[in-house]
Amino acid sequence: MKTTNIESRKRIASLFLIFVALIGALFVRFFWIQVVRGDELAKQALDNRMREIPVKAKRGILYDRNGRELAISVSTDSIYVNPAEIKKAGEEEKTARELAAVLEMDEEKVLSLITSNSSFVWLKRQVDFNVSQQLKELKIDGIGFHEESRRYYPKGTLACHILGISGTDHTGLDGIDLYYEKLIGGQDGKIVIEHDAAGRQIPEAVHRYVSPTEGSDVVLTLDETIQYIVERELDKIVEARQPKAACAIVMDPKTGEILGMASRPNFDPNNYNDFPAKNRRNFAVNNAYEPGSTMKIVTASAAMEEQLVSSQDRFNCPGYIKVGGHRISCSDTVHGHQTFSEVVEHSCNVGFINLGLKMGIDTYYRYLTAFGFGAKTGIDLPGEATGIVMKESQVKQINLATMSMGQTNAVTPIQLVTAASAIANGGALMKPHLLKKVLDGDGNVQKVVEPVKAQQVISKETADELCLILEGVVLNGSGRNAAVEGYRVAGKTGTAQKVGEDGRYLKSEYVASFLGFAPADDPQLVCLVVVDAPKGYPYYGGWVAAPVFKEIISDSLRYLGVPRTVMEEKEEKTPSVAVPDVINLPIDEGIKSLQNAGLNAQVQGEGDVIWGQVPKAHASVKRGSRVVVYLSAVSEQSGQGKVTVPDLEGKSIKEVARILSQLGLHLAPDGYGLAFEQDLAAGQQVSVGSTISVKFQPLE
Amino acid sequence: MISRRTLKVIDKPFLLVLTALIVFGLVVLTSASSDVNPGAPYIFLQKQLLSLVLGLVLIIFILNIDYTIASRYNRLLYLGTNLLLILVLVLGTEMRGSQGWISIGGLNLQVAEFAKILIILCFADFLSKRQGMLNTLREMMPCFLYMGLPFLLIMLQPDLGTALVFLAITMGMMFVAGANPKILVGIIVGGLGVIILALFLHAKFGMWLPLEEYQLKRLTVFVDPYNDGKGGRGAGWNIIQSLVAIGSGGLFGKGMFQGTQAQLNFLPEHHTDFIFAVVGEEFGFVGAALLLLLFAVLLLRCIYIAYNAKDFFSTLVVMGIISMWLFHICENIGMSIGLLPVTGVPLPFISYGASFMLANMIAIGILISINVKGRKIVF
Repeated sequence: MKTTNIESRKRIASLFLIFVALIGALFVRFFWIQVVRGDELAKQALDNRMREIPVKAKRGILYDRNGRELAISVSTDSIYVNPAEIKKAGEEEKTARELAAVLEMDEEKVLSLITSNSSFVWLKRQVDFNVSQQLKELKIDGIGFHEESRRYYPKGTLACHILGISGTDHTGLDGIDLYYEKLIGGQDGKIVIEHDAAGRQIPEAVHRYVSPTEGSDVVLTLDETIQYIVERELDKIVEARQPKAACAIVMDPKTGEILGMASRPNFDPNNYNDFPAKNRRNFAVNNAYEPGSTMKIVTASAAMEEQLVSSQDRFNCPGYIKVGGHRISCSDTVHGHQTFSEVVEHSCNVGFINLGLKMGIDTYYRYLTAFGFGAKTGIDLPGEATGIVMKESQVKQINLATMSMGQTNAVTPIQLVTAASAIANGGALMKPHLLKKVLDGDGNVQKVVEPVKAQQVISKETADELCLILEGVVLNGSGRNAAVEGYRVAGKTGTAQKVGEDGRYLKSEYVASFLGFAPADDPQLVCLVVVDAPKGYPYYGGWVAAPVFKEIISDSLRYLGVPRTVMEEKEEKTPSVAVPDVINLPIDEGIKSLQNAGLNAQVQGEGDVIWGQVPKAHASVKRGSRVVVYLSAVSEQSGQGKVTVPDLEGKSIKEVARILSQLGLHLAPDGYGLAFEQDLAAGQQVSVGSTISVKFQPLE
Repeated sequence: MISRRTLKVIDKPFLLVLTALIVFGLVVLTSASSDVNPGAPYIFLQKQLLSLVLGLVLIIFILNIDYTIASRYNRLLYLGTNLLLILVLVLGTEMRGSQGWISIGGLNLQVAEFAKILIILCFADFLSKRQGMLNTLREMMPCFLYMGLPFLLIMLQPDLGTALVFLAITMGMMFVAGANPKILVGIIVGGLGVIILALFLHAKFGMWLPLEEYQLKRLTVFVDPYNDGKGGRGAGWNIIQSLVAIGSGGLFGKGMFQGTQAQLNFLPEHHTDFIFAVVGEEFGFVGAALLLLLFAVLLLRCIYIAYNAKDFFSTLVVMGIISMWLFHICENIGMSIGLLPVTGVPLPFISYGASFMLANMIAIGILISINVKGRKIVF
């Protein structure tokens, strides 16, 4: 007997259909979640429970060029707690007391840390070895030690601006440590720990250790000894004159390697927080200033390379010059008639302004740019300044005039020293750099930084000639205080009035600087010393900066073992003698003449006829001094015969000198500009070695 | 005890699937509850086994009495059940936010779970007497009032999930009893419409609703669990973690005890309401599909039993039990996979819970009785 009627059965059947539909819907949904979205959700499940604790990579060591450590990483313990475990022991307050005593922390603070609702809390990072040792002996459950390394600069303030600083989390924050962060910092590792929902670590759960890649050790171009000399001399001048800032850079002109660089004020990178933040500014690289007369090397280079002037060209300085209605005076003295060499020696503004105006804006800017002004040198330090160079399109004659004597444009010390290096390096501008080598973990050289020649700025001839003229600055001119006994030093002083906040020049603040190199005939070191706003008088570069330069260069050259040129003699015992005129004499005759006068001769160049001498004729020098004589390239063979005098009219000094030296004739130039008169007529037969007087005048 | 005849005529597939489900449930529970009380990892399994044994005793007891006495003492049963529900409101202990528990000798019982079965029996009798007289709303009204009382009492606990089970039971049984389907559908659609409108008005104009804000949030957050005001860490947390658990199980699952979401406590209530997520995570799509298949076969056999029941009352009782289980399964799984609101409805034979297990065993006992008594015995 069926008790259910047909209608009920139908209804049960429809209910069954609903039920199938519902189950089917669930089934489809599973498929969607588990098969289609499975991977994505699995990753989310993984993220849920994996926590990462970073493991800092050990930072690479910074060495000086001789392998002496400048920055190292030392292992320290950082202490963390697992509050869950502390709470389990149930002696929070006792534990807090013990920890606070050892770590020298506030007890309340320790208590709040160790009872916080977390599974990992840093208690104190980077503690000293003996502190962590003491803690380890206490054997408190829930206290963990995590080895971290800390940057340590063993030499303290030495080269602080270059080496930089590193933060608590062991990343470079300044200097080389920041610039080469990727290289030196390595790749951090991590400990991946599985956690449950409450943040507790799971014992025996997945622990994965991704080991850090240690940072590379690097060798810098710095020489610790030279750096030390630079720091010492800066300290001395800072103490004596209390300037607002100071810096000195020593560079190898042949490679662009920075051997020493220091700025004042400075700081101790190990405790950098104890110093004002402004002390971390690296004056040598991060600041621009109006250089003053040191910048005249650019004007001189350009004028000489463009053959607008040569060393013996005559200038007249009436003490001032008028440019477009402005009257620019030449220091306090009237220089009167002088050769170009003397213009440089006296740093005569009028002379340089004349040259600047003569070459024009285009030419001046071409050389300015070629020497690297208005652009970063690319030195491997953070925050290099570009300097301020007036837009060429806005430059008027008056601006060109002031630029020629070193005002108007602002440059960085590193730019200036790089430009001077080009002159010292035969006109080839080398890119300045600090990184020399990268080592691998075993100390093998992985990479060597090759010197990079940025540009040939001026010809080798021009550069060499300018070197001689700059040597004169130290021998006879404003840079006498930079002279180093036993070495030939070339250089240029600079005394720039500072520009105040209102844009006008300050009456009482100057930047004293000296830029030079030595030995002049084969420069090994270029050095710039800048002293910003020294107190007291005199404030001239030749008085303030040149002595600093002298000490740095003389100690550095001696340390490097650069052979001396002049014999050291006791001053009192040696009488003075007048230097004989040996120009245009054959070499053996000239040397004999010098020996007769009780002087030693040092020969420069090749050839058999002397065309120049230092010191000049009739100068008063001590008996036994060395006189440098310069030979021309006239060969002995050509000296036998006769040559025809060429027509020199309309040719530049440089051209005339070249033509005559090829023929074996000597030039006695007069004036500057283009040749318009010669004492031996063209077509005449003269013997090789004869001297021709040529008069030049500017093209008007 | 169990007679030989009973063993002979009993529906074997039903018994087989039931056994499989219970074993599956115990396996899942072993894994799911292993971390809930780390001091005693097997305490939940032990308690669940105890409930099973107790349940078996109850089944044997039911097989040895005539279940149709429920029909005879129908009024007494109905009154008694409602009285119990009132009693629990007054004397009950509050657990998990609901006043629905009574402690008897250390055993916490959830009255509403037993009430479901008792009310199914009463309502089956109530409906069977009105067969063919459920065509108009007026005729159907007494049914709604009859079921409305226990529904309201459970809502007062408050236990929305169980109350909704009553709704499902009412609809399923009335449908089979021949109630006008248009009115039933109308009521469901109308009810849903009113709820949605009320929610809309509440959200837009702050209309008062008889729910606390957090309860409301829990019900509606499934639409977008990440938008719970706490970036998925508030009311949406359970749904997100459940979805992540099931999804990360993939095709074959992570293996027993290997489900990180459950074992590491990311997923709350993973041994009770959210146990299905553990199935999905540890046994994968294959395990979840198998479980669904077992449920489907179980319900199919129940329908077969309903077809062959000896009278209309028995058919309606079976349909009540089917409606109850179907709702439990769909709602539980549905909320685990983010399809339905989270209402705290356990999964039959799988979720941990003594009351629920005992109530289901009683239902099984009744089903077997109907099965045995309904089937014509052909010698």
